[in-house]
Amino acid sequence: MNLARSAILALAATLLAAASAGPFDIPLFNTPKAPTAQGNARLVFAQSPFGVAVTADGRASYDVQIDASGLPDPGTLGSYTSYVAWAATTDLAHWARLGVVKNGHSVVGHAELNKFLLVVTAEPSETTSVHGGPTVLHGTSPSGWLQSFLSHPLFRGIPP
Amino acid sequence: MTRIDADPRELFLAESTRTRTRHERFPMTGARAQGVVPSTERFASIRDIRVFAGGVVLRMAAGLLLACSSLASAQQKPKRPPTKPDSMGGMPGMRMPAAKSDSSKKTKSKAAAHDTMSMDMPHDMPMPVPMPKGMPMIPGLVGLTPPVTSFLPGSGVDPKRLPLATTSRITRLKNGDTLDLTAQLVRRTIKGHTFVMYAFNGQVPGPLIRVPQNATITVRFHNRIDLPSTVHWHGVRLDNRFDGVPGLTQDSVRAGGDFVYTVHFPDAGIYWYHPHVREDIEQAMGLYGNVLVDSPEHDYYAPANREQMLVLDDLLINADTLIPFGKEAPDFALMGRVGNVLTVNGEPRYTLRAKRGEVVRFFITNVSSSRTYNLSFGGAPTKVVAGDVSRFEREERVPSVVLAPAERYVVDVRFESSGKYAVVNAIQAINHYAGEFSPEVDTLGAVTVDATPAAPDYAKQFATLRSNDAVARDIERFRPFFDKPPDKTLTLTVATNALPLATVQFMNVDTAYYAPVEWVDGMPDMNWLSTSKQVRWILRDEHGKENMDIDWHAQQGSVVKLRIFNDPKSFHPMQHPIHLHGQRMLVVSRDGVPTKNLVWKDTAIIPVGSTVDLLIDASNPGDWMLHCHIAEHLGAGMMTVLHVDGAGGGGKSR
Repeated sequence: MNLARSAILALAATLLAAASAGPFDIPLFNTPKAPTAQGNARLVFAQSPFGVAVTADGRASYDVQIDASGLPDPGTLGSYTSYVAWAATTDLAHWARLGVVKNGHSVVGHAELNKFLLVVTAEPSETTSVHGGPTVLHGTSPSGWLQSFLSHPLFRGIPP
Repeated sequence: MTRIDADPRELFLAESTRTRTRHERFPMTGARAQGVVPSTERFASIRDIRVFAGGVVLRMAAGLLLACSSLASAQQKPKRPPTKPDSMGGMPGMRMPAAKSDSSKKTKSKAAAHDTMSMDMPHDMPMPVPMPKGMPMIPGLVGLTPPVTSFLPGSGVDPKRLPLATTSRITRLKNGDTLDLTAQLVRRTIKGHTFVMYAFNGQVPGPLIRVPQNATITVRFHNRIDLPSTVHWHGVRLDNRFDGVPGLTQDSVRAGGDFVYTVHFPDAGIYWYHPHVREDIEQAMGLYGNVLVDSPEHDYYAPANREQMLVLDDLLINADTLIPFGKEAPDFALMGRVGNVLTVNGEPRYTLRAKRGEVVRFFITNVSSSRTYNLSFGGAPTKVVAGDVSRFEREERVPSVVLAPAERYVVDVRFESSGKYAVVNAIQAINHYAGEFSPEVDTLGAVTVDATPAAPDYAKQFATLRSNDAVARDIERFRPFFDKPPDKTLTLTVATNALPLATVQFMNVDTAYYAPVEWVDGMPDMNWLSTSKQVRWILRDEHGKENMDIDWHAQQGSVVKLRIFNDPKSFHPMQHPIHLHGQRMLVVSRDGVPTKNLVWKDTAIIPVGSTVDLLIDASNPGDWMLHCHIAEHLGAGMMTVLHVDGAGGGGKSR
């Protein structure tokens, strides 16, 4: 009886964990350069003694996990040897290197931006610090869903 | 080393000058300031837009359904308050197990009989809650008021006849000593305005009770405020009878009544005490204080030149008036009351003078109803030493200190150079109107460091990050349980009923994105209008049972794994600081990632969308509350009970 209850509890817990996919997930979309590529990223709070990891000015600090499949050999796209993930501000003005991405599960580094694009590019070296190669996967941080209500009916007529 | 008991003023040094600055909230610049916002700028591709549009359509459809059901009962005009208020002797929303129902009823009637409140302010006032700068009130909410009677402490009392509250003083007690602790009305002056508020023994914070580890003291509690009350000893693994929970461990103490607590302190560290009746009013109005439990080990912590208490609170004030509370039920039920005047040790300005190179140990407690802080010390190097119920396995350097309501942390800060170090709460607010994050910095005070070198110089000790082997050894006994399946699973969610239509409509659109942590109240108008009559916060277990209907038992001496999932798809997802009474627990993993540096806790923040595994050392028999420590969420029902069955009582582990 106890065994059955434990099994049910474990199943419920697994389902719950699966259902938790939500505010921290980033679906990644492929480009014509790599039409077979698929991916999903998950933001997990970086290790912190406080339960939530934030910078001194309050930005969330996430470890970025990427699950990718169907990435072609980077050499087939040109003189490239690896795939690298980047976090870019939404105006694409600032890019921060996250880390190397391979087919399968990769933990690629920290992202500490309020809103950002997650971009995976093919690069000539695993250690490159400047993005330059073609984009194969991209997505938007969940905070990109933040709504502007300037033109929403609820606020219509109120000057900004 | 300046010990805390050497000079009481050293501990709660709060000077009268005030230079708090606040960055403009929600500044809008450029195109956004002109209202020109390309609606698709957030999207990386057309496919993104399709996904988004699909989500919005679904949410709007759900919203329409909800709105229709709400229309029938939503109050579009201000309602008159009920003429016969409910008792405030218990916790709103709390339904007791059958075995306790008689006593619960008794409590209720007693409390009602002694309810002396008479402040029935008409609720025809305009929206009294200040909106964030740049954030307009939703037109559909104009003219509405919460369906409760307004309440403020001390109705009809001449403030001039009340004593002026003083800052906290140290009460050093030894094993067997007795303390008289009186909850009373006081007069407080904040930002030049005088208010009638509450205090323990006339002090805000209440007396700092300093005791040696393993001491047992007697506290004679005298309730002299205008509400029923109790005292809860937060984080202390004490005898269940003295936990201070009305209807569960005792009857609430009526106004004018008394109760005697026997409190044993088995763990060194920083704790606090507060009422467990209408915390949204009583705690918010000043009933809180710390207990500092000293370890017999002289090197329990690394050496420091000075010790300071920082008790963080916030008050909601509009011009010169406190925003009234709901008499029959808490208002601000959606997000909790988030104040706009931040205080440290009861004052809006904290100042400290230190010497160059001084290591200051701060014992920090968040007593706010709802606000989570991100505290830092002007860039001075900071290391976290201890949490709620123990030291960390290893000291750790941190850029800032994050404290959810009820959490405590002990941090060492070294002020290496002379100058002024601002103590700030720095967060990223959300401007819902513009759909943007906006940095917000509240300066809570400053540490002024002069050129005189500190003596002794603890630079070398500060640079060392100590490992606390005793803590690691203690935790090692629990490591075999880290990976076991959860014994209990709770999902955090919310149910609403008859909220204003504009609120329903806004929430269904706004929650397209839900921040893991909401640091401020970006929509105080909607929040103010929500009461626990319309909002029910829920802990739901794996059997579908909710809140006080959950039947949860554990055997004394067992190790219980509790998995908590904060459902991001609820009507209004929000972080919840979950507090367990009378036990200690470890946060062993978050979202499947094991915690690397453990500490014993009694309160853990559960961000939106997160799954957090807690390992409970069920060592202390009795009936123990587990609840959200956002006062209004507790008031809206977000609580349950863990029954720890005594070793000799033939208890069962379910």
